[in-house]
This record gives sequence, C-alpha cells and structure tokens, in this order.
Amino acid sequence: MKPGALERRATRTLVYALLVVVTLWLVGPFIWLFVTSISYQRNLLARPLALVPPEVTLDNYRMVLGLVRFHAEGQAAKILPSMLNSLVVATAVTVVNLVVGTTAGYAYARFRVPLKTFSLFALLFTRMLPTVVLIPAYFLLFKALGLQNTLTGLVLAYCSFTLPFTIWIMKAYFETIPADLDKSALVDGCNRLQAYYRVVLPVSGPGLVAAGAFTFMLCWNEFIVAQILNTKLGMTTLPPVIAGMNAQINIDYSVIAASGFLSALPAVLLVLCFQKYLVQGLTTGSVKG
Amino acid sequence: MISLVVVFPLVYSLWMSFADVNLLRTTGPALDLFGVSIPLFRYVGVQNYVRLLADPLYWDSFWRTAYFVGAFVLETAVVGLGMALVLQERFLGRPVMRSLLLIPWSLSRIVVGLLWIGLLDVEFGALNGLLHRAGLIDSYISFLKSGFSALNVLVSVYMWNQAPFATLLLLAGMQSIPTELYMAAEVDGAGYWQRLRYVTLPALRGILFLVLVVSTVNGFLMLDLIYILTMGGPGNETTTISWLGFQTAFQFFKFGPGTAILYTLTVLCLLLTVVYHKVVFRKLDAEEI
Repeated sequence: MKPGALERRATRTLVYALLVVVTLWLVGPFIWLFVTSISYQRNLLARPLALVPPEVTLDNYRMVLGLVRFHAEGQAAKILPSMLNSLVVATAVTVVNLVVGTTAGYAYARFRVPLKTFSLFALLFTRMLPTVVLIPAYFLLFKALGLQNTLTGLVLAYCSFTLPFTIWIMKAYFETIPADLDKSALVDGCNRLQAYYRVVLPVSGPGLVAAGAFTFMLCWNEFIVAQILNTKLGMTTLPPVIAGMNAQINIDYSVIAASGFLSALPAVLLVLCFQKYLVQGLTTGSVKG
Repeated sequence: MISLVVVFPLVYSLWMSFADVNLLRTTGPALDLFGVSIPLFRYVGVQNYVRLLADPLYWDSFWRTAYFVGAFVLETAVVGLGMALVLQERFLGRPVMRSLLLIPWSLSRIVVGLLWIGLLDVEFGALNGLLHRAGLIDSYISFLKSGFSALNVLVSVYMWNQAPFATLLLLAGMQSIPTELYMAAEVDGAGYWQRLRYVTLPALRGILFLVLVVSTVNGFLMLDLIYILTMGGPGNETTTISWLGFQTAFQFFKFGPGTAILYTLTVLCLLLTVVYHKVVFRKLDAEEI
C-alpha cells in the first residue's frame, strides 16, 4: 500500500470517529428522553442502569393523555388542552407575522422609508432586548385591558417580540431578489401592490417558509412570557404546564418525559421538514437563536 | 405601529423602575388612555437603583453573570467551530447530519432542561448510570448540588442548545470561501492546521464575531433553563442578574426594584446592539451577503 493511501485512510477513520461523537452529542440526549418516556421509573432507578429498557410501556403516554387514572391526573389532564392552546397561539402569531412582517420587510427592502437607519437600528435593538424587561409592563397593561389569562393577550405579546425578527429576515430575503423583477412587473401594468403579491411573493417561498417556521417554533417553545401572563392552568401553553409538573415531587420523571417528548415532537418535525429553507433564511438574516 | 407596541411597554417599564410599585393599591395616580386606566404609582426617583447598587446580592449576581456569559460564549464558539469543522469534511450522509444539527436548537428550553435532568439526575441520570457501569464512579454524582458545578452545568446545557446555531452560521460562512484559496494553499504545501489558521479562520472572522456578540446577548438573558434546572439555587449560587430581576419582580412581586435590575441588563444589551449594528453593516458593505 502506498504511504499516502494509508494516511488518507487514517484521516477518514478519524473523520468518521468524530462524526459519531458529534451525532451522539446532538441526538443522544433527545433519544434518551424518548427511551425514558417508554420506560418504567423503577427501571430508570435500577443499578446498574440498563441502556436498552428491559420493559417497554406506553403507560406514561396514557397517563399524560388522560387515558388512565393516576394520582397526579389533575396536572396531566392539562396537557392536551394546553397543547391546543399552544397550537392556536403559535398559528395565529405565525399568520400575523407572515402578513404584516413580510409587507414591512418588503417596504424596508425596496422603498426609501423615513428614518430608515434609525428604525432599522430600533428593530435590531428590539431583537436584542431582554423581553423579560417588558413583561412587568405587559402584566399591568393586560390587567387593565382584561387580557390577562387570555390567548389574545399572549398572541399580542408574542407578535411584538417576533415581528422584528420576521421583518429582519424578510428584508434580507427580499434584498436577494433583483429589484428589476418588480420593475418589469410595473412596466407590464401592475401597480406596486400587485407587483408585490403577484410577482415578488410567489418567488419568495423559501423566505416565507423560513420566517413562518421560525416564528411558529419560537411561540411553540416560549416559556417565560406564558408563565407570567397566563397563570391560570387551562389558559396557558404547554411549556409552563410541563415546568409545573417538573416542580411537583410526586410525579415520576418518566411521565414528565412523555409530556416533554410530546411537546418536542412538533417543533422537531417542523424544523426537520423545512431544514433547507430555515438554514438559508436564517443565515441570510443571521438572527439570534 | 410595531414601535408603539414595544416602545410603550418599554417606557412604562422604565417608569416603574423609578416608582414604588404596590400591586395591591388600586387608587392613586393613573394614566387614562382610550378609557383604560393604567396605574402610575408613586414616583420615588433613583431610589430603586441606589438600593440596587448598594446590594451585595446584586454584585454577586453581576460577577456570576460575567462568569456565566464568559464561559458560555467561549464554549459556544469552540464547540460551534469544532462541529462546523467536522461537518465541513466530505462524508456519506452529510445532509442528514446538517438536519440533526437543528434538533437541540429546535427544542423548547423547558424540554432541554428536562432531558438534561434525565441525564444528570442523582437518582436516575443516564450519565451517572454510564459512569457507574464503566466503574468510573462508585456512587451517583449530584451535579446540581454544589453552586459552582450547577453554574457550569447551566453553561454547558445552554451551550448544547445554542452551539448548533453557531455551527450553522459558520458552515454557511465556510461555503462562501472560494476553493481556489485551499488549492493554492495546498500547492504551497500547507497542511490541515495551516490551512485552518491562514485560510479558514481569517475568512470566518466576521461570522465568528457575530457568533460572539449574539451568544453574549443570549448569555445575559438566559432565564428558562435556570427556572427548570436550579431556580437560582442552591442558595443564590446560580442567580444571575436576569434571574435576580425575574425573581424580584415575579416571585416577590416587587416590580419597582425588579424592573430596575432588568433595566441595568437592558442598557448592557443596548451597548451590545451598537457593536452588533456596526458589525452587520460593515459586513454588508464588505461582502454583500
């Protein structure tokens, strides 16, 4: 064997070894969450620990979904309704973002907006802003407006946090579309609005998908705001309910793991489906994660 | 319109940081806005800030935050770059690996905390189980029991969640490096490390800086992982400024001092935005991506 070939094989082996390490690091913890969610707590407590669960069960999921009775069913019974709340809120915010955010992004990308640099800076600042500093204000404002513990209030709060992201991503995306495209549409007799939604929007699919999926994921996963503004159990989203279960000592970890896995699944699937567009959109917009 | 939704709460929060906010008192000065009465509370000047700066707890949290952010930024940059270098190599199934990269990042921080509890817990943690099986430890380690170890766990868990995003940005940057540069370097007899040192890293300078700024901001603002993993404890040993502010405002319901604490964070983030803004605009001028 030639010396060069040997060296190349050594490099290959090293690359694949490193890949195994990276893969384990990235997905190992998530897979273990799934394993625990189909195990009995007593097997998790056993020593030595079995990496392949000796007994497989769906009991944890049955408890979480309210199919069997158990001692903490009051808490677990909130999983499905709050999942629905999460879905409603995340969908509403995504729709608002796509309609308002893309239009504003388009305006920033194509027109001379008054105070453009200043308002872009303001936009950037809201993106870097500790959202938690706004929550006391929202708390009191929503109390005065009667929006506390309502999904509308949560949608409103989330829109104010996510719109700057969407505008930023979409502005960056529209800037990659040549302005000549709009111009030729204008020449062909479209007005500005028609040029926007008949010509520019149809070729902006990847950007829209990226912004939409990202917004949905942020809202689906958000915890702090929901935890403070919507304290009533039936009116809140999934993350606060899971955190609440985790704070109770008398609920087995395997049961909480099942609800955690259920809550993780939609976001993970969404991101995996739109992976290509997301990466493209987010790296052009280079946002904070 | 967006600025109204964000700016008004921002100003209102700022006002609260100068006020004696008593949530139980409903009478007193109020601002009437479109028929909605918004309580204004009693103005107390800089009293909240003065007390804050005299509070040793605040300064403890301040230095802890500095450690947390420093360690987090360093780990994120190193691991993010390391993963990017591995994934940049040519191998079978590269697109799949890039999808896997998004899994830790797409999870809610509540789930992230939850699954690391599953790995680190003193009774059923899988990592403990592995180390125990391998004979490296005699009894399970309680990773969250001592303050310093708990703080480092928080750093690493947050890094697990955030480093993949840095990797994505860096991979995008690596793809825009022209291959001719590498070919020329190879002709000149440069080995792997020399190519990394003289070609890859200089080309990634802008993106690396971006990663540093974004992870600094994220580090300052991290709250949800502390909520699920340590609640600022043991004692106050994992209390960062953002947690202190959150705790003061929403667990002790002292909105005045709470918003004052959070405002010190906001000012920090504003400064970082200025830096970020400069980088983004310089980058746009230089590279047009």
